[in-house]
Parts: sequence; C-alpha cells; structure tokens
Amino acid sequence: MAEKTSGGPMDAERFAALADAYGGALHRWPPGEQAAAMLFADTNEGRAILARAGRLDAMLDRHRVDAPSPALHRTIVVRAAAEVRQSRRRRFWWLGFGLAGVGLAGAVAGLALVAVVSPDMQPDHYVMDANATSFGDAGPDADPYEENL
Amino acid sequence: MGADPDEELVRRIGAGDTAAVQAMVARKLPRILALAARMLGDPAEAEDVAQETFVRIWRRASGWRQGHARFDTWIHRVALNLCYDRLRRRREWTTDELPEVADEAPLPDVMPGDEERRVNQALQRIAPRQREAIVLVYYQELSNIEAAGAMQVSVDALESLLARGRRSLQAMLVGDGDD
Repeated sequence: MAEKTSGGPMDAERFAALADAYGGALHRWPPGEQAAAMLFADTNEGRAILARAGRLDAMLDRHRVDAPSPALHRTIVVRAAAEVRQSRRRRFWWLGFGLAGVGLAGAVAGLALVAVVSPDMQPDHYVMDANATSFGDAGPDADPYEENL
Repeated sequence: MGADPDEELVRRIGAGDTAAVQAMVARKLPRILALAARMLGDPAEAEDVAQETFVRIWRRASGWRQGHARFDTWIHRVALNLCYDRLRRRREWTTDELPEVADEAPLPDVMPGDEERRVNQALQRIAPRQREAIVLVYYQELSNIEAAGAMQVSVDALESLLARGRRSLQAMLVGDGDD
C-alpha cells in the first residue's frame, strides 16, 4: 500500500478532497501531501475549505469516551496470567508434536532410501533340486492332472 | 515500516512478565475502549469487546512475530472484528450484510450541553464501514496507510469512505452537507 506523494503544488480540487476525507487538521492528512497542502492552506480558498471542515471537526471533538475504570483494568490484568500460561503450554505441545512429526518423516524417508539403494538381493545362480526339470517340478508331488494329458 | 514500538512489550508478555502485562493494559486499553465505544455506541458492550481483545492479545503474545502489520494495527483489526460480530448479532441486522447507506436526516435539536449524545447518535447512523474509517483516522489517529491496512482496503477506498462518512455527518450535525 503505497503512500501518495505530491510532486508539485496542490490544486484546490485535491485540497478540498483531502479536507473532505481527513478534516481540517493537516496533521491527519497523508504525510506525503502535507507540505504542498500547507502552502495551499495559506490561500483564501484554502482557508475557506479548512474552516468548513473544521466546523465538523469541532462537533466530532465533543464526543468523548470515559477513561477505563480501575475495575475493568484489574479484570483484564487478572485474566492475563492464566491466558499467557495456557497459550505457552499449547505452543510447547504443538512444538513437541511438530518435532515428533519431523522425526517420523525422517524415519520414513530413511526406510525409503534404504529400499531404493539396496533392493532385494537375488541369488546369482539357481540350484535345481532332484525333482525339478526345465518345465517344472516332476517329482511325486507334481500335479496329477498334468500327467493325464 | 520501522521498528514496532510494541514488539518488546509483547515479547516480555509472552515470557510471562507481569509488569509488561500492566504496561500493555495501561497503553492500549483506553484506545481499544474508545474504538469499541464509538463503533458500538454502547459503553457496556465496548467494555466486553475490550476484554475479549485483550484475551486475544494474551493468547497471541508468546508467538507474536511482526509480519506486514504493526501490533497496534493488528489489535485494532481484532477489536473491529469483535465489534462487527456484535453489530451483526443485534436484532436490527436481519441479514449478514451491514447497510452501506447512511440515514442523513438532520438530527433533532437538543439541549445545550447534549451535543456529545447527538454526535454519538450521528456516528451510529452512518454506515459501519464509514464509521470505522472515521473512528480509525479521526479519533484513533492512525495514519491513512495504517487505517487502510486495518480495514484491508486501499488508501483510495479509505478516502472515499472517509469523505462519504463525513458528508453524512456534516448533513446531520452541521446541516450544510450540500454546500
């Protein structure tokens, strides 16, 4: 959100628009436009615009809010201790949960790495037993159905 | 954005420093209470909002990190959200949408010395977003960028809300809104 800055003298239209929005006190105006506004405020037109905005400001200034009561202040302070303690406990719990999660993820990643780097070892030769043929097992336990073909 | 003037205090609160808690309440409670009182027009509800805002501050303190917004802007946003929750719950709001059009009829004349009540009535009659803009910039004295940030609008949109709100107030309170 960029602050507008005035590159040159301010015209009446912009001055009036700012007074409409921010009122007659220049300290509430956008900082980047205050210098140019101060120059225009010295003109008759500028003074008239500020005077009109100032009338509403004077009304708004009449709205005051009572200072907070000591009882409200005390209530808020008393509640603070319990809330801060509870919040810290909650944060530590989540931190522990996060660390456990990181540990678990590490273990899973480690297992995956081991599986990739060292796949199941296959024997480099096959020992045929006495009943085995190139077409399968021809021993006594061979499938009888096959023999009847 | 420069250093956040509240950051150190928030850090101390997060560490359990009771003196920092006291300091934070002394520093922020009058501002939060004034904000809520002007948004809601009801001192009792404003006190409730102030208490709820501080509960959120205490809960957030131990994990607070400055992001895009200053702490003060953040608590304004929290308090405003709580105010809007209450405005929505009020019986007169029959839909979720809060009205954007102000009732600009001039307020009846009042006895001298009663102007404060008249201003309060006028503030409550303008659209809540316009009231929010005026409260943040005029009464809370937030800069235009801070106020726009708290309202999550552009500076141009903020200026439009301010101008429309002030025009309505001018019509109700000063009676020369059209000149």
